[in-house]
Amino acid sequence: METAKETLKIQTPEHVGFRYVLAGLGTRSTAFLLDTVVRGLFILFIFLAVLFLARLLPAFDPTGLFAAIPKTWFFALGVLAYGVVDLGYFLIFEALWSGQTPGKRMQNLRVIRVNGQPIGWLESSIRNILRAVDILVGFYPLGLFVMFLSSRSQRIGDYAAGTVVIVERRRNVPVDRARLRSTSKLNLPELELHLSTLEPKQYQVIRSFLQRRQAMDATHRRELARLLTRRLMKRWGISSSGDIPDESFLEEIVGIYERRRKAI
Amino acid sequence: MGNGERGITELKTRSTAICFVETFRVPRSEFRLLVLAARFQLSAANSSVSRRCYQFINQGVITEQNLLIDKEFPLTTTRGVPMTQSAASAETKKFIISLTGLKPGTSSEDLVVALQRIFPRKTAEQIRGALARLPLLLTRSATEEQAKKVTGFLESKGAILRLVNAAVSAGSAPPASAVRSASTAAASPRKSEMARAAAAPQEDKPYTGVERRAKPRVHPGIGIHPMGIGEILDRSFRLLRQHFLLFFFILLIPQGTFFLFNKAAQIFLGGDVQQGMTAGMGVGLGVSVILAVMVMMILQFWAQGALIHAVSETYLGHQTSLATSYGAMRSRLGRLLGTMFLMGILMVLVPALLGIATAIAVPMLAAMGFGGTTTAILSIVLVFVGIIWFFHLLLNWLLVDKVVVLEGQGWRSALRRSKELMNIRTEQGFWKRPKNKAGLILLLGFLIGVGIHLLFQVPGLLTQMFLPGSLAGLTLTLQQILNVIATSLAAVFTAIAMILFYYDIRLRSEGFDLKAMAEHL
Repeated sequence: METAKETLKIQTPEHVGFRYVLAGLGTRSTAFLLDTVVRGLFILFIFLAVLFLARLLPAFDPTGLFAAIPKTWFFALGVLAYGVVDLGYFLIFEALWSGQTPGKRMQNLRVIRVNGQPIGWLESSIRNILRAVDILVGFYPLGLFVMFLSSRSQRIGDYAAGTVVIVERRRNVPVDRARLRSTSKLNLPELELHLSTLEPKQYQVIRSFLQRRQAMDATHRRELARLLTRRLMKRWGISSSGDIPDESFLEEIVGIYERRRKAI
Repeated sequence: MGNGERGITELKTRSTAICFVETFRVPRSEFRLLVLAARFQLSAANSSVSRRCYQFINQGVITEQNLLIDKEFPLTTTRGVPMTQSAASAETKKFIISLTGLKPGTSSEDLVVALQRIFPRKTAEQIRGALARLPLLLTRSATEEQAKKVTGFLESKGAILRLVNAAVSAGSAPPASAVRSASTAAASPRKSEMARAAAAPQEDKPYTGVERRAKPRVHPGIGIHPMGIGEILDRSFRLLRQHFLLFFFILLIPQGTFFLFNKAAQIFLGGDVQQGMTAGMGVGLGVSVILAVMVMMILQFWAQGALIHAVSETYLGHQTSLATSYGAMRSRLGRLLGTMFLMGILMVLVPALLGIATAIAVPMLAAMGFGGTTTAILSIVLVFVGIIWFFHLLLNWLLVDKVVVLEGQGWRSALRRSKELMNIRTEQGFWKRPKNKAGLILLLGFLIGVGIHLLFQVPGLLTQMFLPGSLAGLTLTLQQILNVIATSLAAVFTAIAMILFYYDIRLRSEGFDLKAMAEHL
């Protein structure tokens, strides 16, 4: 059966288990595309800097020191800087930012070692020098092929360096807490009792609905609120929630559940 | 009718059914029939059986505990109207029977076989397709006897049915014309849906508009949730890896057929045949080519539909196969072809008209003495407008094929629905608009496709370098085969991503993943 995510399980010697979500082709391609844009900006900056040094600086230099340097030296400097950016961009960023580049950071990706430890200069160097093999003549044909066959979505550079790319868990600030606050109060004295039987999975479903309802179509939103309310009422043997609307009923339930959880 | 009176009515009918069970020791399987019998008031309130029921109630034989058995068989109509209200004469009573769902653990194939017995002219594929778009209206005019038989038979096969007395339904439902006029009067489809929803009573109402569309059948154990662009592509890649042969062969069939046809044409029509060709042979050849192109188009769209079906099934957690996927498309192929044809015509219509206008306007302007610069600017502007128009329509109608295959809509309604989906705002941010997301997915898909093409060029180049020149034909054929494979792979990847993108929009706006989870709450 198709699963939602591919994960990497790591067991430490202390028998502590970690589970990382592996990054797939899509997120990695998006990160690469973003990095390409950033690299392009770097290269544009180098190009403009070389142009400035070669053309404009001698004109403003009263000592005539810059005018004496042949222009080919400036261009040689530019080519060198381009090489450093092209090769060193990934290498330096990943080594310094603990497995991240600007593109990866935007996509919440990080390169780690297969044993879960952060990568260093060595791993970064190996995987990024071998990028030339993965990329071959552009657009990663070999990298794609190897990733397709790899259970951990690793390219050749990853295999050689013993690294994987993972998706970092996003710790979002709870969205719009005020929206979850109910304006009407339920007049059901036995609700607290019923709420003790509410399982975390069920709470998650109700909470997901409340968080996503703004984006939902009006008809489906009402239908889903009604469905959830009826399911809960049937489960708890409540015949009626009074005049309170379905969404307010669910808001109240989530509110009470969260208060109870906080108290515990 | 007051609540108390209504309660008595329900009790009366429930009790009637339970009395049958208690007194005649009716097997559980037949209990449903009895409930239906009570529902249709086959046992009149003053019959001897009913009188005995009341005796049982009075004596305490039938208690609340007994009545609990009956919870799963609500005896009111789906509109919350007690059946006593529909006490029309037996001759005028007609029933609307709809299939609304399947009981948990029911095999849909058993139900398909059962429905084939009721509708012998329908193929299994047509019935499967109809089951994918529940609720399914079975009949609008069943007599009591027919309704009893049909419901008894189908419920024993695991169907969940909805029965509505046609007379009650007609009385309480708003006239169709009123709904129609309300929807056409509204400025936008979304507004009209909201207005209709607001106007409709909060209680169970008939399926209209959005609700009538096919609800995706999500496997209970499957994890689906709204995704970003990267996640959509990740999931596409993973789906492709997990069901590689299925997806690949679905698209390889038209591509391979085209390749073989091309090769055969080259072999049979090459060399001397062309030189000795007469006018009659030329016409014959032209007709053959047109026929071949039509066959290829049909094959291509069939494969496209089959792929949509296969990806949808696997994404939602179901199993499918090559034959099932192609088979599922048989009943919708005509609609898909027609809709895509209509879409193609509409997309090229305006650019073509602009092209004609340019062709007419340029000589006229030149004759009127306008310079070359003016005509050049006019031509560029018209070409630019044509291109913008083309891409505008392309983005709006990007999901048409999915709508046809997965929602069963066709022609203009499919075009409208696709436009509606592509313009839904479910997320904040410029790059999170459906059209922009689709553009990015297509761009990334294109780049990955280029990568795949490059990869498949390598073996061809190597054979070209190392094999002797006498085997150039073989090398060329190998390159062509690899090209066909690369094209299929690249197309499959982007197509999967677009199908997941379609589901992502629906997931956000309809929350069907939450509905599936709520069903098991």
